[in-house]
Amino acid sequence: PRRPDGAMGPELEPLFQAWSCFRRRKFERCSELCAQLLRSPPGEQAAWSLKTRALTEMVYVDEIDMDQEGIAEMMLDENAIAQVARPGTSLKLPGTSQGGGPSPAVRPVTQSGRPITGFVRPSTQSGRPSTMEQAIKTPRTALTARPVTSASGRYGRLGTASMLTNPDGPFMNLSRLNLAKYAQKPKLAKALFEYIFHHENDVKNALDLAALATEHAQFKDWWWKVQIGKCYYRLGLYREAEKQFKSALKQQDMVDTILYLAKVYSRLDQPVTAVNTFKQGLDRFPGEVTLICGIARIYEEMNNISLAAEYYKDVLKQDNTHVEAIACIGSNHFYSDQPEIALRFYRRLLQMGVHNCQLFNNLGLCCFYAQQYDMTLSSFERALFLAENEEETADVWYNLGHVAVGIGDLNLAYQCFRLTLVNNNDYAEAYNNLAVLAMQKGHIEQARALLQTASSLAPHMYEPHFNTAILSEKVGDLQRSYTAAQKSEEAFPGHVDTQQLIQQLKEHFAML
Amino acid sequence: DVLHVAADLPALERRNWLIYLLYVRRDYDECKAVIKEQLRESHGLCEYAVYVQALIFRLEGKIQESLELFQTCSILNPRSADNLKQVARSLFLLGKHKAAIEVYNEAAKLDEKDWEISHNLGVCYMYLKHFNKARDQLNHALELNRHDLTYMMLGKIHLLEGQTDKAIEVYKKAVEFSPENTDLLTTLGILYLQRGDHQKAFEHLGNALTYDPGNYKATLAAGSMMQAHGDFDVALSKYKVVASSVPESSPLWNNIGMCFFGKKKYVAAVSCLKRANYLAPLDWKILYNLGLVHLTMQQYASAFHFLNAAISYQPKMGELYMLLAVALTNLEDIENAKRSYEQAVLLDKCNPLVNLNYAVLLYNQGDKKGALCQYQEMEKKVNEVKESSALDFDPEKMVEVAQKMGAALQVGESLVWTKPSKESKSKQRAAPSGKSSSAQQPLGSNQALGQAMSSAAAYGKTTQLPAGAGASAPLAKPPSLPLEPELGSESSPEETSTPTGA
Repeated sequence: PRRPDGAMGPELEPLFQAWSCFRRRKFERCSELCAQLLRSPPGEQAAWSLKTRALTEMVYVDEIDMDQEGIAEMMLDENAIAQVARPGTSLKLPGTSQGGGPSPAVRPVTQSGRPITGFVRPSTQSGRPSTMEQAIKTPRTALTARPVTSASGRYGRLGTASMLTNPDGPFMNLSRLNLAKYAQKPKLAKALFEYIFHHENDVKNALDLAALATEHAQFKDWWWKVQIGKCYYRLGLYREAEKQFKSALKQQDMVDTILYLAKVYSRLDQPVTAVNTFKQGLDRFPGEVTLICGIARIYEEMNNISLAAEYYKDVLKQDNTHVEAIACIGSNHFYSDQPEIALRFYRRLLQMGVHNCQLFNNLGLCCFYAQQYDMTLSSFERALFLAENEEETADVWYNLGHVAVGIGDLNLAYQCFRLTLVNNNDYAEAYNNLAVLAMQKGHIEQARALLQTASSLAPHMYEPHFNTAILSEKVGDLQRSYTAAQKSEEAFPGHVDTQQLIQQLKEHFAML
Repeated sequence: DVLHVAADLPALERRNWLIYLLYVRRDYDECKAVIKEQLRESHGLCEYAVYVQALIFRLEGKIQESLELFQTCSILNPRSADNLKQVARSLFLLGKHKAAIEVYNEAAKLDEKDWEISHNLGVCYMYLKHFNKARDQLNHALELNRHDLTYMMLGKIHLLEGQTDKAIEVYKKAVEFSPENTDLLTTLGILYLQRGDHQKAFEHLGNALTYDPGNYKATLAAGSMMQAHGDFDVALSKYKVVASSVPESSPLWNNIGMCFFGKKKYVAAVSCLKRANYLAPLDWKILYNLGLVHLTMQQYASAFHFLNAAISYQPKMGELYMLLAVALTNLEDIENAKRSYEQAVLLDKCNPLVNLNYAVLLYNQGDKKGALCQYQEMEKKVNEVKESSALDFDPEKMVEVAQKMGAALQVGESLVWTKPSKESKSKQRAAPSGKSSSAQQPLGSNQALGQAMSSAAAYGKTTQLPAGAGASAPLAKPPSLPLEPELGSESSPEETSTPTGA
């Protein structure tokens, strides 16, 4: 029994209907119709292939932005050739900033020397742990945009679409498929490969199929080469992947392939090669946004903020609604004493219809620091309303605390920082600022305890260490002051006050 | 035979000369190796090896370990004042001042004539807030042997007790004793500056800068003095010298901002001051200056905001309330402006501008009686100021307004105004907000003349303040592009700010 479908007459051909649904991206309906078709005369290849594609599209995530390193890849992979690369030629040496970006005294950092970015992608890596132990001890979201796993577990989770309870069990049983047979028919094979790779997340079988298919196409089809390269990349065979991508590029210039190749180079820790790849790509596709953006990301990861900003501006010249570029340039302006300009960038995002907690939070901050007092608090209220989890709420309260400090209402500031901690107990900055407020009131012991918590939660922040050092020096506990000052210097080597303090303490120690 | 036996017994102190040599050359690794060897040979009985090991630990900042070793030393040789002194010093470095005092007293029994013991006792008493005892000890130390550090500490104690004059005496003696110590010169210069003795302050700070051109404290103090005299370009060139070495110092940016303000470059002034404020949100001087600049630029809402913040951090200052009242007058909140003036008049003792501004406001409101009252208050203050001859306000404008005022109130004859021929100082005026009322010509402007508060060098830096809020990384979920589909349960990752504390 067919159900009438909206605008279409009830008497439509079911296959046509299913196709139409697929084109309009109504995948659920499409796969239902295909299932019906498959039931009546079994072995209808068109319906089978269509259902495969519909299922794949439901869970499809672009492979280019799917770049996550688990702890294992960060620690135990030794793909980089140079162990101690020259500064400016490696992604693994944070703190080799030559871009003259704002210092940690102005712009917050996530890891030592990595300033917070304006836009977070799944592949965002801000610094790396140096030992396995450290990686396990740090908070799980300190290094990547989502909680870190032991090995790229997200791929595993992506593939769990097959576990969804289907009334008639899984759609196909991979172990029973005769891949060699399918590889003969390219039309079926491509759809099937995508299904195996993206829906089932079974890289090995996908690779088998791709190998058979590319052989059948006598190695003349660049698409299969790219797919094989993707499989290799997932399996961690970066050099093999690079070979496949290069040979695909020889056949056919595609933006996708260039992006994949650059991804391989970033993973091999060769940012300069990656940038060159992008630039060659730009010769073939002048003004391609994803390529320019890729260059900007690499420079940002190398802490060369000013160059990154140049490229992000190029992105905006091509595509003036590019969210990532707008956000990065906006945050850059905010931290270089230009909150008014940052405000214009964020307002642009608002006009484009972006509507979330972070944006309103940033708008509120920019309004406050650009002295647009009429819009400040309403933005923060909106941000609180839109916050999706407690961490975001905590961030907004924290920033409200800063606004309260700015208007001189320390009691309000105290309440705001307390609320930050209520929402997120591991908020080192709030502990530190509460300690500063406690110092203002003269509660030395309380301040000391808060600072200790802050520095244990975020060893990469220099402020708690420095404040501890000053506090201890005041009461005369010079040993504690010295150890704290040393940690502060480690976290922010260019801090003048820390250096002066250490100098002073050393004189104390040297004196008889 | 006896000689033979003596030769077989290894001398305990056999290699002290080597240990000493390596320690003095700062070759600590080598030194530690020799010490280890020596201690193994002498089964831990070589006093000097333990002593130097403890000194090395102390230099590395491991005070606890060095304390234990010094205690070992004083067990090995209980008659030595030196060992006791070192134990006490280690206790002092750990912040255990009471225990340190006890041990120092023990050491003093062994050695009567040692300045170090008296000096350190003084410092310990200072930490424990026993200032009288501390002073006695430090004076005793000076009698035994004069040292810069002792003078420093003595001056510090006088300052802690709030006796600036005595502190100046102490520092004067100290500078006579060692005329090339930049710390002493700078501190003395700043103390003169606080007392208003510009000539002497300039002399001492200049000396300090001659010996050490990059001295941050002295530069800041000297610059703030030049600003007070209106030499903004000279002050700016001084600040340029230190700006590269201390890029994140809020007092420095505050002073640079006020230099630009003096040169009528208001936008530059605001941006420098705002940077200073971002680096030190709890500093009232910066907020005061921001309020002042915004008043000058006729941005009354921002001016009110900054002045209000400054008042909450520094509630006992008349000028702040006066400026706040000027801002409120322009925001058309006359009731609160009056209350703010009341507060200002209560708190202020020597600035006639407060009364003049209040009088102008009252007059414009039509309250002639009140205006007359304030006008007389102002005259009193002006006379006092004339006696003290430190003309601290802009006579030209004041005279003008005051004469008009006097004429309007028919009291003007009582006071003979004389215009001083001197160039008026760097004073800014808030622009007139003359709103003509029909009956009478309102008097001109409110004279919001604030002085640029420049912070002379940052003495005793308190805890730093939270640096600016971290703006969160705004994470926009990409609008569904074909290339970036979102996943239902775990849509694109979000990370908000990593805001900074400081």
